[in-house]
Order: sequence, then C-alpha cells, then structure tokens
Amino acid sequence: MSALDRSWFLKGLAILLVLTLLAPVFGWAAGQVGYAEPLDNAAEATGATDAAETINPGLMPDYGVPGLGSASGTLLAALIGTGLTLVLATGMGRVLAD
Amino acid sequence: MHILDGFLDLAVAAVCALASAAVLAYAARRVDGELSDARAPLLGLVAAGIFAAQMLDWPIVGGTSAHFVGGAFAAILLGPHLGALCVATVVTVQALVFGDGGVVVLGANVFNMAIVEVYVGYAIYRALAGHHEIAAAFTAGWLGITAGALSAAVQLGLSSAFAYELGTVVLIMGAGHLALGLIEGAITAVVYRAVVDARPDVLPASPLREVKA
Repeated sequence: MSALDRSWFLKGLAILLVLTLLAPVFGWAAGQVGYAEPLDNAAEATGATDAAETINPGLMPDYGVPGLGSASGTLLAALIGTGLTLVLATGMGRVLAD
Repeated sequence: MHILDGFLDLAVAAVCALASAAVLAYAARRVDGELSDARAPLLGLVAAGIFAAQMLDWPIVGGTSAHFVGGAFAAILLGPHLGALCVATVVTVQALVFGDGGVVVLGANVFNMAIVEVYVGYAIYRALAGHHEIAAAFTAGWLGITAGALSAAVQLGLSSAFAYELGTVVLIMGAGHLALGLIEGAITAVVYRAVVDARPDVLPASPLREVKA
C-alpha cells in the first residue's frame, strides 16, 4: 500500500468509527419514534406478523450484547460487526485478486 | 427490508437461494483476476461502511422508515459484480451474527439487496451518468432500493404467511420505499460526490470519465 493509499485507508477507518459511534444514538432515536419498516406494515396488514420465527438468533441478537445495556451493547455490536465485515470483505478481495 | 424466517414459503426461499448462488458465482468469475490487490481494502471499507450505515435507522416521526441499504452505492463505487459480492457479505454477516434477516430466507435477502438493488441501481447509473453523474447516482439509489423492495414484496406476496396478498404487499412496500428511497438516493449522491472529489481514481470508469479521458 502506498503512502497515499495508507492515508486514504486511515481516513476510511475514521469514517467507520464515526458511523459506529452514531449507532447507539440512532438506535435510541428509532425507539423514540416507534421505528417500523414498510415490510413490518405489510406483515401487519396481511396477518403475517406472528408467522415470524427465530431459527438463528445470532451471537448478538438485534445488534445487542446479552448482559450489556442498550447503548453500550449497540456500540459494541456496531464495532464488532463493522470490523468483522471489514476483515471478511478485504479477505474476499484478496482471494479474488490472486 | 430484511425478510424474517417463517415469512416465505420454502419453495420461494429455495428458488431465491438458487438464483442468488448462481448470480454470485457468475459475479465472482467476472471479477476474478480483474481485481488488483490495491483495491481489496476498498472492497473492505465499502462493505464495512455499508454494514455500519445499515445500523442507522432513520428516525422519522410517524414510525414508518427505513435505513440505507447501499446496493446502488456499492455498484457505482466497485462495479456491479464486486458490488454484489460486497453487499452479499454484509447481508450474510447480519443474518448469521446478528439475527437480522432469517437464515432459511438468506438467499432471498441477498437476492433483493445484493443483486436486484445492485444491478438495477448500476443499470440506472450507467444509463444516466452521461447526462449528469450526481443525478445518476441519486436516481440509482432511489430506484435501486425501490426495485429491491418490490422484489421482496413479490416473494412475500407469493407466500402463505402473507395470505398470498400480492397486491397489498407490493403496494405497501413499493409505495413506502419509493418515498423513503429519496433518502437513499440523497445519501448515495452525496457520498458519491465526496468520493469523486477525494479519490476519482478508485472508481471504475464511468461513461463521462471515459469521454473525458
């Protein structure tokens, strides 16, 4: 990676950090306004809501960390998820580049 | 627009999974060897940025809202094939690690967000970029997410959980995302503009830049 690329990559990481810091704020705001997506509305209109089942809750269900508070759990989930995606996608890029 | 397990009939989920696997395999073959090592970190940054941005649900008073999906954005920045692989990575991490979107319906969620939104968004961008690049990015984001939502609506409307009410589901999701998609378009255009200003060299060649070159 050249010096220019390195500085650009570090700027990218800084932007990612800002986005993850925003996650708990947006999470709180979404709770305040009663966030629902059009898909949720369609499920309600057709009586599908109860058909939802959880086959895989995931290690961090609903972007939270069991045992942690809502804001800190969301922040940790955002950091881990963003970092994991960064590593996986970069790795996929390297494999495809070979 | 992440579909949950239990929402799709198994046959619908299976068809979507097969279609997604076929398109992603094609995409991987198309980018194989064309991607330079230097662009691998860009793929990582875009994917991670989309993951983080998708966590930010827009708090719109009244309740019905959405979050940035980024399919068109990834397509414009990375090209459609790499864009599809990029968003598919995000959607898979969301489903497996965070339980956001089901696992049986993972193929459908990949199809809607990583394939339909990516390729439709890219086609719109290419069609309009010769006239006005920023407007092209905006329209790609706006109509790309609407196309992804319509694709999800058709899958849901053909499933028993949604009582096969195809018209109702298409209307609610289509109209909802057509309106909310304006925000997706605006974010796509603003971030695209920022990238063009900062590092135009990382973008795949666009019609306009090809003309200039």
